[in-house]
Amino acid sequence: MNTFLFYILSLVALLSAYFVVTVHNLFRAAMGLIGLLLSIAGMYLLIDAQFLSAVQITVYVGGIVVLIVYVVLLFSDVAQKLELETARWRQAIGAVLGVAVFTVLWLAIRGFDFTIGQNLDVKSASVTDIGTALLSKPSEKGFVLPFEIISLLLIAAIVGAITIARAGDGEKKPEQK
Amino acid sequence: MNGPTLNNYLTLSAVLFAVGVYGLLTRRNLIAMLMSVEIILNSAALNFVAFHHFRWGGDAPGAVFPIFIIAVAAAEAAVVLAIIIVLFRHKQQLDVNQADSLKH
Repeated sequence: MNTFLFYILSLVALLSAYFVVTVHNLFRAAMGLIGLLLSIAGMYLLIDAQFLSAVQITVYVGGIVVLIVYVVLLFSDVAQKLELETARWRQAIGAVLGVAVFTVLWLAIRGFDFTIGQNLDVKSASVTDIGTALLSKPSEKGFVLPFEIISLLLIAAIVGAITIARAGDGEKKPEQK
Repeated sequence: MNGPTLNNYLTLSAVLFAVGVYGLLTRRNLIAMLMSVEIILNSAALNFVAFHHFRWGGDAPGAVFPIFIIAVAAAEAAVVLAIIIVLFRHKQQLDVNQADSLKH
């Protein structure tokens, strides 16, 4: 049953990923991205990461994709103009490099025996465990420093985004005088 | 318990990564490139979670890194979308081939 679900989910993930990178309409690409993110969330459920699955759906689908869709809709009147054709040789180079990346990764995966330790007593990390790991010191196998740095990064990104997006308003006013 | 193994997950995430690289190299639209980057980040996060499950027995520290990846992706998306808005205001298009100067 798990194997069946895995193959269904990977089929959905691969098809929607291919859809995202090839389709011209950006709104449809965003919908394909939602399909990819949901199938990845389903995979997280298959490997006992329920909390991550919920985070994936709320933050990615509910946050990042909505942000992308907002921007796509902001430019929807010019969406027809945005349909840019990629040159054939660029597509060929992209395909060759993509296949090369996959081949290298696949050779690395194949060359290593990952079956060792696969019969561990698998449990699913509870929210309490994850929260404790995020907030405890490195001596207690915690990640409090990266956690605080991420909060700084988020604040810097938000302030930076607002500043960048507002800068145009200040520049336009002198021109109008 | 003979479900999918770690190798299946790693192969899938390698394919997703390759698809993301292909999209990043071929798309000329900044928003589409951002979506390709999201595919790449997701394949990396899937790798983390698969190792966390199959090699670490589902211990909590393995689940922490995907959360960091998602947070970084959110920050990145916010900044990129602000840049897209400014770029569009200045150039009236989103072709990365035309956006090769830092100012105007």
